[in-house]
Amino acid sequence: MADPAIDVPTASGTHAGLPSPQASEAPLAVIEAVSKSFPIAGTQRRHQALDRVSLALARGEVLVIIGPSGSGKSTLLRTMNALERVDSGRITIDGTVLTDRGTDLNALRARVGMVFQHFNLFRHRSVLDNIVLPQCAVLKRPRAKALAHAQELLERIHIAELAQRYPSELSGGQQQRVAIARALAMDPVLMLFDEATSALDPETVGGVLDLMKSLALGGMTMAVVTHEMGFAREVADRVIFMDAGRIVEEGPPHHIFEQPEEPRTREFLEQILW
Amino acid sequence: MTTWLLDYYNWRVVALYLDEFSRGLMATLNISAIALVLSLIIGTGLALARMSTRPLIWRPVAAYIQFIRATPLLVQIYIVYYALPYLLPFTLRWDEMWLGIFALVLHTAPYMGEILRVGFESVPQGQVEGAKAVGMNALQRLRYVILPQGFVNTVPPLLGQTAILIKDTSLLSLITVFELLSAGMIMNSQRIMPTESFMTVAAGYLLIYALMLVLSGWVSRRLSGPAWSVRQP
Repeated sequence: MADPAIDVPTASGTHAGLPSPQASEAPLAVIEAVSKSFPIAGTQRRHQALDRVSLALARGEVLVIIGPSGSGKSTLLRTMNALERVDSGRITIDGTVLTDRGTDLNALRARVGMVFQHFNLFRHRSVLDNIVLPQCAVLKRPRAKALAHAQELLERIHIAELAQRYPSELSGGQQQRVAIARALAMDPVLMLFDEATSALDPETVGGVLDLMKSLALGGMTMAVVTHEMGFAREVADRVIFMDAGRIVEEGPPHHIFEQPEEPRTREFLEQILW
Repeated sequence: MTTWLLDYYNWRVVALYLDEFSRGLMATLNISAIALVLSLIIGTGLALARMSTRPLIWRPVAAYIQFIRATPLLVQIYIVYYALPYLLPFTLRWDEMWLGIFALVLHTAPYMGEILRVGFESVPQGQVEGAKAVGMNALQRLRYVILPQGFVNTVPPLLGQTAILIKDTSLLSLITVFELLSAGMIMNSQRIMPTESFMTVAAGYLLIYALMLVLSGWVSRRLSGPAWSVRQP
């Protein structure tokens, strides 16, 4: 069931001052009528986490997904690198249909970066190793090249001096920046952020958001689940509001935040903004 | 002087058998080390098989583990020593030491496996998802994340099981393997001095145990660094 209402905005002009990405190209990610349900513990019933969700993500687009907890926004994000398998529907990322049987999911995940709420850095490896190991193990990069790449990224996230520390010795914000660097080291075509700042102390949130902003400005395609409305307003090309496993409303940030049409969106924003 | 002690522990006679005892000690250490390494390798395999979602894999392994738990080690040793060469003719060429090691591994690997399984299962799901998200396949997740992290969680119980393994090697004297206890039995049969014979054997095991304690202290210190702190956000 294709949804003709999907409106893929051409990315031109969304990042002021940057050359527009190939705006006329096919979308980088296409999600078609994806449904997913989970069994509810102790009952025979199932919770419908995603209910025939469709959307498309253009190259270079920054999509922010907002919604109350349990609305399916994290599940949607996790289907995009197959950490959750879908019950039905179809997901295509950069030409790879990841809902097909026989698709090499590991190869796909290597090209889709994911940043988790709780970082999920390898806690038994140093900061540097966290960034080097996936490059060597998965991409088979020579160690010298992987090291150089890691050093460069560590400098970019301003924690080169912590390279030999272990994740548990870093603040939450530093860990999250390392987690972003680890994902970037794989040269992803798409970055997924699953409430990347929700578990952070308030004073460390800014650094992570700044890094995400600089990625967006650099033309990275991003899907971001967040409660940071300021970030959504400032950085998003498009905002999606989800509730009960469906996309209730979508549009550019000024539309969603200033003139939401759906009562459910308005209600949610009133709760979260005040 | 201390000659009164000779009535209770005649070290002068023990000294004559020092060569036997030291060869026995070395044999015990040798058998233990080989059995330990093999048990850890096979135990890791059993733990992974036991964690499989396929009944065809985990059920036979679970049955094997229960069989080992339910039967005495000495019975298992006798089955291996007397019956195995009939069941598996190629083991006819093995000497009694290798048959003994086979029995010890058969017995110890499931215990090690159960300890390791708990360790592997205690690796947080987030660590596994982090590995998945960068594209690691199942084998790489195992090698780079689950095995190293799971193993560390299990070092104390593994050391305990190793101490049991070392003591269990004494049972191999019953299938004519020469080890520490055999040295004591040789001395006792020639001199009929049970105190000297077996107290010396006990002291040998005590010595190994003391070495184990030093080793385990060293291992825990090595693993108490920031790399292994379990603090989760």
